[in-house]
Amino acid sequence: MASLITCPHCGVRPKEEFAIRGDASLIRPAPTASDEAWHDYVYVRANPRGRTLEHWHHVAGCRRFLVVERDTVTHEVYSAVDGVVAAREAQR
Amino acid sequence: MTAYRLSSGGLADRSKALSFTFDGRPLRGFAGDTLASALLANDQLLVGRSFKYHRPRGIVSAGPSEPNALVTLGSGVRSDPNTKATVVELYAGLTAKSQNRWPSLGFDVGAVNGLLSPFLGAGFYYKTFMWPRQLWEKLYEPVIRRAAGLGRAVLERDPESYEKSWAFCDLLVVGGGPAGLMAALMAGRAGLRVILADEDFRLGGSLLSETETVDGASAPAFAERIVAELQSLENVTLLSRTTVFGWYDDNVFGAVERVQKHVAEPSAKLPTERVWRIAAKRALLATGAEERPLVFGGNDRPGVMMAGAIGTYAHRHGVSAGKSVAIFTSGSSGYRTARGLSAKGVTVSAIIDSRPEASDAAPDGVRVIRSGAIVDTKGRQRLSGIVVERSGFEELVACDALGMSGGWSPVVHLACQRGARPVWSDALKAFAAPDVGDTLRVVGAANGVYTLAGCLRDGAETATAMAAELGFNAAAAPLPVTETEADPSFAALWYVPGAKSKAFVDFQNDVHAKDLGLALREGFGHVEHAKRYTTSGMATDQGKLSNINAVGILAGMRGVSPAEVGTTTFRPFYTPVSFGALAGTARDSHATPTRKSPLHEWAKKHGATFVDSGLWFRSAWFPRAGEKTWRESVDREVLNVRANVGLCDVSTLGKIEVFGPDAAEFLNRLYCNAMLKLPVGKARYGLMLREDGFVFDDGTVSRLSDDHFFVTTTTAMAGAVMSHMDYCAQVLWPDLKVRFCSSSDQWAQMAIAGPKAREVLQQLVDEDISETAFPFLSARAMALRGGINARLFRISFSGELAFELAVPAGYGEAVADQIMEAGRAHNVCAYGVEALNVLRLEKGLLTHAEFDGRVTPDDAGLGRMFSAQKPDFIGKHLSARYGLTAADRMQLVGLKPVDKDKDIRAGAHLLKEGMKPSTLNDQGWVSSAGYSPVLGHHIALAFLKSGRERYGEKVVVWDKLRDHEVIAEVCDPVFVDPQNTKLKA
Amino acid sequence: MVRDYNNRHALDQKLRGTPKPVNADHLEVGHWQAIATVLAQVGLEAAVQRALSSTPELSLRYCGPGEWLVVSEVDTPIGLMRRLDMLCGTQAHVVDQSDGRVLMRLSGPCARRVLAKGVGVDLHPGAFALGGSTNVLCGHIAINLARTGEDIFELIVSRSFAESLFDDLMTMGRAFDLSAAFSD
Ligand SMILES: [Zn+2]
Repeated sequence: MASLITCPHCGVRPKEEFAIRGDASLIRPAPTASDEAWHDYVYVRANPRGRTLEHWHHVAGCRRFLVVERDTVTHEVYSAVDGVVAAREAQR
Repeated sequence: MTAYRLSSGGLADRSKALSFTFDGRPLRGFAGDTLASALLANDQLLVGRSFKYHRPRGIVSAGPSEPNALVTLGSGVRSDPNTKATVVELYAGLTAKSQNRWPSLGFDVGAVNGLLSPFLGAGFYYKTFMWPRQLWEKLYEPVIRRAAGLGRAVLERDPESYEKSWAFCDLLVVGGGPAGLMAALMAGRAGLRVILADEDFRLGGSLLSETETVDGASAPAFAERIVAELQSLENVTLLSRTTVFGWYDDNVFGAVERVQKHVAEPSAKLPTERVWRIAAKRALLATGAEERPLVFGGNDRPGVMMAGAIGTYAHRHGVSAGKSVAIFTSGSSGYRTARGLSAKGVTVSAIIDSRPEASDAAPDGVRVIRSGAIVDTKGRQRLSGIVVERSGFEELVACDALGMSGGWSPVVHLACQRGARPVWSDALKAFAAPDVGDTLRVVGAANGVYTLAGCLRDGAETATAMAAELGFNAAAAPLPVTETEADPSFAALWYVPGAKSKAFVDFQNDVHAKDLGLALREGFGHVEHAKRYTTSGMATDQGKLSNINAVGILAGMRGVSPAEVGTTTFRPFYTPVSFGALAGTARDSHATPTRKSPLHEWAKKHGATFVDSGLWFRSAWFPRAGEKTWRESVDREVLNVRANVGLCDVSTLGKIEVFGPDAAEFLNRLYCNAMLKLPVGKARYGLMLREDGFVFDDGTVSRLSDDHFFVTTTTAMAGAVMSHMDYCAQVLWPDLKVRFCSSSDQWAQMAIAGPKAREVLQQLVDEDISETAFPFLSARAMALRGGINARLFRISFSGELAFELAVPAGYGEAVADQIMEAGRAHNVCAYGVEALNVLRLEKGLLTHAEFDGRVTPDDAGLGRMFSAQKPDFIGKHLSARYGLTAADRMQLVGLKPVDKDKDIRAGAHLLKEGMKPSTLNDQGWVSSAGYSPVLGHHIALAFLKSGRERYGEKVVVWDKLRDHEVIAEVCDPVFVDPQNTKLKA
Repeated sequence: MVRDYNNRHALDQKLRGTPKPVNADHLEVGHWQAIATVLAQVGLEAAVQRALSSTPELSLRYCGPGEWLVVSEVDTPIGLMRRLDMLCGTQAHVVDQSDGRVLMRLSGPCARRVLAKGVGVDLHPGAFALGGSTNVLCGHIAINLARTGEDIFELIVSRSFAESLFDDLMTMGRAFDLSAAFSD
């Protein structure tokens, strides 16, 4: 975890203001995608050791989903970027 | 003057005598004393009994590492067990009690301990658990519980108050000794925002018991001068009586400030303790070093103390630990302490030096025994002599106090709390702080710098460098001038051979050297195993004094370096912190916020009984005179709504305004039913799924204009639905042009339900709200007479002709009053959530009692709402998988007891008649149940395997938890008005 | 049946009655001000902010990207809605929150120390400057916090949480003899 997250919109904030939603690298399959793809999307998680991308919802702040890149071992936070920005990039 | 108070000297204010009691005995000390120094001054050396063997134990240290002197402060609900007498600031009226002794401290039955000793060796718990269970329950546990243990926790409500506070700074300095004070001073002068925290009630650390001069003044006077300058700096915050207990991610520290622990009658305006969460750009640990005890036979006899502690009591408190003090040392520190004591007029009987040679100077006339080893101690409740062995010859040296000096261990606890392990240093013969990067650095004795001049310099220079890193310019200033002194050297001495009696490693948990040997022999030689096997370092002091010797002894026995043995894991908390302090103000009514509806006062006026519903306070029913049970009130409310009209507060529903050209498309993808073509001015019931195909929430969607929708959620899921919408809009479909925000708190919303609802409501509005002008599922903004902008919805959660009226929250009460007035002629009543629940139950309408996360739309009988034609919506794909479409899924049904006098209870399971209750035979469960005043018997909603095909069948409603069983008939879940004739009237 | 309806303030129960002395640290509860949420159309955030900033009577409180609470001490709720509709036109969506939000003004030499007991944000003027505003958590309650003076902060809270926040603030301020009253 982290004690403080630097929200790109709100600045440095305590973790209590956030709700963690989990893996931010998932991409929602097309409605016509295979059952396997949907099963993976909804149920299968990697639980990596080391760097990971997560969605942190700034519930008590700007209400934006941030993509937080952090290390599950050292707890170092490398970056926190707006989820919309990240989602648009992913769609490209 | 008391027996052991020196005639002069020390920082205690001798003009301010303070009365206190210990085990009921009235005693006196001075302002500036700790409880321990005052006890010592009063010849009260014996303060407790040990954990397992009930051996008499005395004060060992003068600080937070104290293993023995644990007392209970105060009495009754205010009693505070396991408090270290060595850190308790003395105050007038303090009452302290010794612990873990029975019947009295001086005579303890448990001390006849030859009986217990064999049972309580290392590994005892593990071995005993293997034994027959009866023996554990009947013999060992009661015996141990009686004999072992420390202070008793108080079971009553804690009368103290606590609070938390955030703090932000450029530099946090932990420790107010020479290094910490200099660091804070340099950083403070440079303009950094500095917080200096020290656990003592007086800042200065080792300067307060230092005998050298600094800048020509006494060391305490020097400390006072620095503190005065720090106090004058606006950018510096000094927190004394504050223990920094934890170092957390992103350089956030936890600290507890004992705001009012030192006062007899606390002020109601202040908390007893305050927990600080300190976010620091940089931090400096100036936490000093801990002197090492020596492990020799009989080393737990009261009177055997840390040498430095004896020095502190003499110099800081003006108290001598004994009339004749011997020193047992493995290095030059012991000599230094001896010289200081001698200068104070304390008789030093001998210095026993484990080293064969040393250049250290003993005080004049004091005998030095080189290559000496103490192998036993004499005396009962106070030391009377020590048995010194040298070259095979034993000698008894008389003394009533003994100072142990086994070298120094830097206090690096905080630096190791985030995973980094301390690093063995051959030069320091100690574990040193690991390199943890720029944000936290270690200075002074904690950094292995043991001279006063070195500490002052290390603190100043490191703080100056850190200031520069943060972009501050610290002006150079000359360092304080100190007397010349040698860096104390010492030989590592983990265990003194030849012990004639138990040689203790961990005083508090009664672990002696042989226990560690046993652990190793039995295969528990790894430091983490040995700790658990022997319980060494597992007591409340967490082995602050003992762990290093345990590591050294394990290393010696294994024939490896302490580096190879390593240390156990360091975690917060550095010293124990009360639960009260960690909870802060978040208790009782402050534990969670309470949400109140804008109609709260209106409901109160009508005598509502309220119920907690999540954070909300909701009106449950409105008892009237003569009604003895809640059921009477609820039955009346239900019948009145069915016959006349009622008003219910539904303001707690989540309300969301959704805007934008893509709003309709967005909602169409959120709900499983079609929303795209919802006409303006119309409301629609909506069902949201989770991506896995189960129902997430239900509510209504009203289209107020082309690009403006008003969405309601259930009370319970309001927050979750809003977050889900955020996720969908931002992460899943960032290109949809949609914006939304909550308006939950803006509207007071009330349901007006019953055959007379329209007649009542029509009196408040000019617009025509007849069935033709405002039919079922109409929804639009509408002004009330008098000019209030309201929203009116023709929706029903009761099956009756009903409206929901939303008005700006502040007007809620006045409008509700008006409705009650308008409805008086029609027998209007207020009804609460209990009646609401019965009304919906009679109509087979669903709540989260049914939507429990395992239910699909089809299970709930809402399969027609699932719009398979829509190309995509949340939950669509996985709804089609086999498990969710199986024919034997549990489906919503109604239940009626066959014997109409019987009740059905929610949570019960359903069984076929004659079948044994088992998971295999489980046919379903009851989700909601209640008494229907309309039908005159109990009814229930339930989920039953293939339930819709089984109307008419009888099932057993089986509730083992409440030992209740009843036969019920399966029926359609709509009990009242299945043709909806009343709804669309 | 035509009548004027009374608007009841969320803290009516708490603050009703005889006025108490106003201390150095004081919590003033705004009685009537108009508050609205403005949501900029996607892509038009900057334009909307410019439009809103052009009117000195309006005080802008930042909530998140393209979202503000707009406070007016001079408009009625309906007046503010009209004014915002005129200012923003189709560039933004406006939601009246005048009844859904409660504004409290905390002022005094210890205001920062009071807030530090609930707010995990650095309130040093160097970090949270005059004119700054943001959504934060105060204890367990989400609020919007603005610095409107060196020692003056404005807190905007959802109506249903107002009593709880008020109780929390009075507890946080007890060491400083925090007083409280409606502004009038
Ligand atoms: Zn944010």
